[in-house]
Amino acid sequence: MANRKAFIFGYSKRSTFLTKELQKQNFNVIIVVSEQDSYDKAKEHGYLDIIKLDMTDDDALEQQLDVEESDYLVCVMEDSHFNVFLTLSLKSLFPKSKIIALSDSFHVTQKLKMAGAYKVIDLYQVSANRIYNILNKPIATKLITNLLSSEHQLSIREIDIPKNSFLNNIKVDDFDFSKYGIILVGMIDRKLSEQFLFITSGLEHSLDRGDMLVCIGYNDDLDRFERYVSSACIKGISNEDEIKLN
Amino acid sequence: MFTKLILKIAFFLHRSKRYRDTKKLFYNFLQNPDYIYKRYFDSFMIFLILVSVIILVYEVEHQIPQWVDDFDLYAVTAIFSLEYILRFWVYNDFHTKIVKDYEEAKFLNKPFRVLSPIITTIKGKIEYILSPSAIVDLLAILPAYRPLRVLRIFVLFRVFKLLRYTKSIHQFIEVLATKRFELITLLFLLIFIVTTAGIAIYVFEQRTNPNINSLFDAIYWALVTISSVGYGDISPITPAGRVVSMIIIVSGIAMISFVTSVIVSAFSEKLNELKENRIVERINKNREFLIICGYGQMTRMFLKNHSLHSYEYVILEDDKKKVERGIKDGYNIINENASRHDVIAKFNIEYSNITLLALTGSDINNIYITLNAKALSKKINVIARASNDKIVKKFKLAGVDHVILPSMVANRMLLFAITQPAMYKAIYSMLTGQTLAQLDEISTIMHYKLVGKSIEEIDFKKHKLLFIGFQCGLKEEFIFNPPTKIDFRVGDILLVMGHKASIKYFKEQYGEIYYG
Repeated sequence: MANRKAFIFGYSKRSTFLTKELQKQNFNVIIVVSEQDSYDKAKEHGYLDIIKLDMTDDDALEQQLDVEESDYLVCVMEDSHFNVFLTLSLKSLFPKSKIIALSDSFHVTQKLKMAGAYKVIDLYQVSANRIYNILNKPIATKLITNLLSSEHQLSIREIDIPKNSFLNNIKVDDFDFSKYGIILVGMIDRKLSEQFLFITSGLEHSLDRGDMLVCIGYNDDLDRFERYVSSACIKGISNEDEIKLN
Repeated sequence: MFTKLILKIAFFLHRSKRYRDTKKLFYNFLQNPDYIYKRYFDSFMIFLILVSVIILVYEVEHQIPQWVDDFDLYAVTAIFSLEYILRFWVYNDFHTKIVKDYEEAKFLNKPFRVLSPIITTIKGKIEYILSPSAIVDLLAILPAYRPLRVLRIFVLFRVFKLLRYTKSIHQFIEVLATKRFELITLLFLLIFIVTTAGIAIYVFEQRTNPNINSLFDAIYWALVTISSVGYGDISPITPAGRVVSMIIIVSGIAMISFVTSVIVSAFSEKLNELKENRIVERINKNREFLIICGYGQMTRMFLKNHSLHSYEYVILEDDKKKVERGIKDGYNIINENASRHDVIAKFNIEYSNITLLALTGSDINNIYITLNAKALSKKINVIARASNDKIVKKFKLAGVDHVILPSMVANRMLLFAITQPAMYKAIYSMLTGQTLAQLDEISTIMHYKLVGKSIEEIDFKKHKLLFIGFQCGLKEEFIFNPPTKIDFRVGDILLVMGHKASIKYFKEQYGEIYYG
């Protein structure tokens, strides 16, 4: 997975956490800045791949950035006008890459979407949603916070079904995931679409190779389950794992 | 011996929780504006007063049935008398003062005189009896004395009693009181002009004008003229009298416009304050509400979501321009500084569940607001916004229950959108319920049929729901994916995921509110 690449445009308080975490998760992070201050700060924080260029100059962007289709372009500039402009420039230069942008108001969100951002995250909206959820669904919010945070044992994980897995041709309904201490939330049937399907939407689906399961569980259980999935058949579970299961 | 007996009674009352609670309850109903149920008592009293006045008016031309007369005579009067006695009782305490004085005397090693606290308390009671509202209350009871027909007119004092129960009339008087100086000056000016003009016309016309027989007639004429009413029953007939008329008419116009402008300016000065007080009073009547401090991007975003649900809220904002914008946007906003003690103290902290959202842009303000609220009551639930993770510790120390870091929350979502794009959508919709599936909490208190049932028995799969886990009511501990044999108890909260319609149907099936 080391080949995943993300370009972070802008280095400020707004993006330090993101940059750090992406690097932790083996992303190849390239920081793009236009000012010397930000360049120095990024350098000081130990980043090596830093490019300083004039972001209003399309030629510079095209020549100096080695962007591939699967790369993520993350626009987190502090100036929202500039962020919109940059999104538009990137969309015209690299139309197939996914642009993710940070916004700080409803109007900016709209403009970023119009400029072609694939996903826009509104700084205040997500926090407002968080407050709203703390008030209305405190337990659900706590669970999701735990799932998203790397510091807790509970997490949500994508598990691909490999070619020879014992899960091949098994109906979702017939398989008891809770036996493994995990809960299946939904899946993506890559053959049909990239759309995520919730388990509760009444799936009558036979699992097969290439499907991706989305499960919640304790990290240990998820690790163990991932190992089972890749084994050829259910009998392939080692004795030791089976003991742990019981 | 007497002192001993008094002390014994005083200590008995002082220690009796039942006595204190009863007195507190009556105090709440009669005097405590923050008490949620006081409004029911007030409405009931207003109803009685109106009934009483309607009976008075109806009785002038019609014969009223005996039972109506009895109701007016016995029931209404009895209730008013009881109210008067109760107010007299709750006004102050004999026993508190006696106990306090006794303990003080014991501490200082000086002789205790039982009469002194009794006299102080009696003075307090007399003070109550002589207060205008108590006099009105007493006069309102008088119409019950039938032999004196004239006393029936005292029913009108019952109308004055309305002052006690209706805030708006009370506020009107309060606003006028702010212009006391101007109004008193005008009153003296009026008395001066009316008296002077009255004497003048009396001197000029007493002998010639058949309608002016006394100084009272002359002053009556002057007042009728200056007020621009001019009945015409008395009018000047001599040139000198007409000159006095002209002067009095001109000064009358000036005076009326002056009085009007004084009253209008008093109201325009107090209008915002009155409106804000109304907002505070209205919100205080709720069992649960939000106080949002600061009107910025985040508050607006929050209210956009929030408007879908029925939480009551009030926004406190220091900056006048922002307040104006908030009013334009149609929100309940008042121009107050949330870091001031008296501002938060205005809210019904004792009886309502308050959640305070400290969402101003400054960490210092948010911490100060939190401390201010927590100093008033630990019960207030505080959610505060912080600018960076280094300051979170300080927020926690200040007593914030939930700290929100906008940049961190957004960063996490960004990270999630990049690293696990498929699940990003899942998580997002689980929380917001924007697409088909949502994550919801089902409480066994509200859905009592769940109590005693096991996960196996409920069969979530049949209901097309995914059971994630539950929070154990007693321990407040979340149990993820529990064994299917576990039974639910009262107070447990179940976490399920599913289609909105499935959750709604499930809640309906298990959803009778548990009143036990």
